[in-house]
Amino acid sequence: MSGALAERVFADKLERAGFTNVWVGGHRPFGVAEASMYPLFTAEVIEAMRRTIPQERQSHVATAVIVKASRP
Amino acid sequence: MSFDDRRVMARDLMFQQEIKDNVAQSYRSIESGGGEAVARKLYSDAELAELPAHAVRWALGVANPIRYAFLQPGETVLDVGSGGGIDTILAARRVGSTGSAIGLDILEEMCERAGTHATAAGVAGWTRFVQGEMEDIPLPDASVDVVISNGVLNLSARKSRAMAEIHRVLRPGGRICLGDLTLDTELPIEVAADPSAWAG
Repeated sequence: MSGALAERVFADKLERAGFTNVWVGGHRPFGVAEASMYPLFTAEVIEAMRRTIPQERQSHVATAVIVKASRP
Repeated sequence: MSFDDRRVMARDLMFQQEIKDNVAQSYRSIESGGGEAVARKLYSDAELAELPAHAVRWALGVANPIRYAFLQPGETVLDVGSGGGIDTILAARRVGSTGSAIGLDILEEMCERAGTHATAAGVAGWTRFVQGEMEDIPLPDASVDVVISNGVLNLSARKSRAMAEIHRVLRPGGRICLGDLTLDTELPIEVAADPSAWAG
């Protein structure tokens, strides 16, 4: 998650790589509770999320998206 | 290039290697994925019914790129960061035996695991898993029709390089359908700097 990009940056990088018709959709909030379902996140980092991320953002720490594009 | 520039470049390269090693080690250390709890958030009952139970245990994606990829019979699909093989198997079912599905994963053991799942799913005849990095995909130029991925691009310390490689292996007119995480606001430093947050 730490390496995730902002949506606009993701799309810009794809365009710079030569892709066209970049489309981003399927937005779905990804919160602390969902992160805790993955064994890759340690209990320590989940605890750090619960402690340091404001309560109102805990259900939407990141956004899961679908990114589509084509090679001309 | 000045000495300072070379020093910054060397530090960045070390940082990239550190991230890559951390991600590989984190994935090597887990004994299963997110299991049914994660899988049921992403896939329909009908999609889950297409998968061996052991594959479902290895659900580690964040979205459902198959649902948006509109794969066609006969197409060649590459799944970048295929993990336990869930999306590769679903892709293989949609392209059928006239097409092919290729899973790419940085870990050899994950490729072997996914291969076992593909055999159990009955799609091994037109599915293969190759060990390699998304920043240096071991496939020829313009050799695939569609690239899918699920929660993997965010793990790369060299995203522009990975995107360039995906572009290289796609045939002209080919398409990508990637599930991934994006961030609208920065993570607190205590979270962002934690190695497990770079792998998860």
